[in-house]
Amino acid sequence: MSLRKRDEGDGVGGNVRLAGSPEAAEERAPGRCLPLLPWDRFSAWLHCVCVVGFDLELGQAVEVLYPQHAKLTDKEKTNICYLSFPDSNSGCLGDTQFCFRFRQSSSRKLSWHCLLDQFDRDLPIYLKKDPAYYYGYVYFRQVQDKTLKRGYFQKSLVLVSKLPYIHFFHIVLGHIAPEYFEKNEPFLEAACSDIDRWPSPVPGKTLHLPIMGIVIKVRIPTCHDKPGTTEVLQTAHQPATQISITLPTVHEVDLFRCFSPVFFHIQMLWELVLLGEPLVVMAPSPSESSETVLALVSCISPLKYYSDFRPYFTIHDSEFKEYTTRTQAPPSVILGVTNPFFAKTLQHWPHIIRIGDIKLSGEVPKQVKVKKLKNLKTLDSKPGVYTSYKPYLNRDEEIIKQLQKGIQQKRPAEAQSIILRRSFLELTQSFIIPLERYVASLMPLQKSISPWKSPPQLKPFNQEEFMKTLEKAGPQLTSRLKGDWIGLYRHFLKSPNFDGWFRTRRKEMTQKLEALHLEALCNEDLLFWSQKHTEVETVDLVLKLKDKLADGENLPVKPGTMEKLQLHIDSIILALPEDLQGILIKTGKM
Amino acid sequence: MALRELKVCLLGDTGVGKSSIVWRFVEDSFDPNINPTIGASFMTKTVQYQNELHKFLIWDTAGQERFRALAPMYYRGSAAAIIVYDITKEETFSTLKNWVKELRQHGPPNIVVAIAGNKCDLNDAREVMEKDAKDYADSIHAIFVETSAKNAININELFIEISRRIPSTDTNPPASGKGFKLRRQPSATKRSCC
Repeated sequence: MSLRKRDEGDGVGGNVRLAGSPEAAEERAPGRCLPLLPWDRFSAWLHCVCVVGFDLELGQAVEVLYPQHAKLTDKEKTNICYLSFPDSNSGCLGDTQFCFRFRQSSSRKLSWHCLLDQFDRDLPIYLKKDPAYYYGYVYFRQVQDKTLKRGYFQKSLVLVSKLPYIHFFHIVLGHIAPEYFEKNEPFLEAACSDIDRWPSPVPGKTLHLPIMGIVIKVRIPTCHDKPGTTEVLQTAHQPATQISITLPTVHEVDLFRCFSPVFFHIQMLWELVLLGEPLVVMAPSPSESSETVLALVSCISPLKYYSDFRPYFTIHDSEFKEYTTRTQAPPSVILGVTNPFFAKTLQHWPHIIRIGDIKLSGEVPKQVKVKKLKNLKTLDSKPGVYTSYKPYLNRDEEIIKQLQKGIQQKRPAEAQSIILRRSFLELTQSFIIPLERYVASLMPLQKSISPWKSPPQLKPFNQEEFMKTLEKAGPQLTSRLKGDWIGLYRHFLKSPNFDGWFRTRRKEMTQKLEALHLEALCNEDLLFWSQKHTEVETVDLVLKLKDKLADGENLPVKPGTMEKLQLHIDSIILALPEDLQGILIKTGKM
Repeated sequence: MALRELKVCLLGDTGVGKSSIVWRFVEDSFDPNINPTIGASFMTKTVQYQNELHKFLIWDTAGQERFRALAPMYYRGSAAAIIVYDITKEETFSTLKNWVKELRQHGPPNIVVAIAGNKCDLNDAREVMEKDAKDYADSIHAIFVETSAKNAININELFIEISRRIPSTDTNPPASGKGFKLRRQPSATKRSCC
């Protein structure tokens, strides 16, 4: 066996790996992608891993970056540095885990994008990657250390990823970070090497992900899963956590625990999130701010929250000015902050959630009134929701009672979260079903699709027409909640969430129309048609069909359609004079 | 049939053939030019043993010194440890004894230990006598085999023996004495092979 000595400076960048390891062999990249290179598998999961430390002269600085060739602009690095440390003197002694989100500062090519996009297609909309943002998952340790000049050891291990798999990365960090702080360099090299052997994050497949002595088993949801059902992985018996861990979810937060400080306002918060209202969460620590923001964003699932949200936002953030300016109305974003400075900076914001320490369990929250905004002056203000917003819908007393009963009966937090999640889901679905139904009616009739004309257009969205449908087929069919549903819809139709939702639907339906049109075209006798038309028209048809063949990959056509199309093209070309054949076969090919 | 996940780690000096043993066991192939492992590599193989399926979760650790401190993550929770030495390199056998000591101090209490003297196809260059190694293994109640990942000698046998020694999940534990009881053998290291 030959052993190559690796030079010291090489670090993990060298990435030595068993040639042709079994995982590499079992799963090849799809045809149009390049073969797997070192770090390709890693970058399907993570953009990079950073270690952020505190330098007495520089302040926070990126001490280590894996892989060494990972690209981060200076702006991104600065953001990561500030966002990886607690912002204020919030203490955070010991270990703290939280998550942040930051804007990608330039449009850079993802080396692995072709494969990732393919996975993206099968993901539920709220788990799709946002090309403009990264997530940072942080494990921060702060302990007294008299040997250090500063008197404290302060360091963060940060995973930077496009994937919003909050729970999964929380578990991964919880496993690797404490060991990393003890063992340093070779540990991170080994952990990154493990990740670089992981199978790709394919939705719907049970993945076994070995990392530092344990195997994490997860299933990434797909858009075909029934909303509200979590396909929990089943194991005959749960072996010790030193061997393997089975995660029931990759992305879900502990809704009940996160919302417990604002328990009585959950339904109002659902409305505020649905409407994309500017919302700020002021919390004592980054872990509480990030958990609460993520819980807010997820409470309208399966709807996607389309505006920006920052689980943890600091005064150093590059978007600080943009988001806090008083010269224009507060933007449609949800910010999580800890710095007392924000109490003043964001005083003009319409809705402020102030969180005390999140209680771990037990205590029944007391009935609290919504607080008036003018009472919010300083960080010492009491926990609660500060807003002058009047909810459109009446409060669902039943769910409150059910959860309160659960607290009294010491129902496990997971069960409480499931109840809460289901109630949010029912509410969101009751709200969205009439819109889905109306939008489906904008689709032209099947008989209006003619293979010899362009695909018909979708009918435009008409607000009043939609409102009329509510009389007979409104949310009253599925929800027992009373209130001003009409007012809620009118407000929603003006919100970024409606805009994003409708754009997505319109795109899907347009693609469906194109697919139906293509199928209709393929069912015609195109060769017969071409024989009755001039050569120029036939050539034009071939070129158009070739375009469709190239675009068709992303269309939801019936299986076999593209093959049919190819056969049509081939037979038409064959019937043409030879000189033309040669030209047409070449055109459109790479 | 019950499926049991059994974590197994391979320990031993750099270049003794840990990865090659795993490679032979899992893939039944051999590559003379494999690169040194970073941290550890992971593979699985499921075998049938009596009325159980044993899914081996194999952590093949790096032999290089710089990864030495990571070993506890891999032997933590392990049902078995395979400690590998190279029969043509005396010093790899000394390293093996240090691993036994470490497992005794920090490893799981009932871990099954197997000692594999690899590269037995290179008998001409032998530096460690089979009898010395066997005596040492017996003294610590460890499984002992000489193996050749290259020529596929004793590789499957090694894992079969591990399956046999791992306590079954039946309510009646098997007769004691088969397990590896490091802590009750304080005199085990007295014997030296050199």
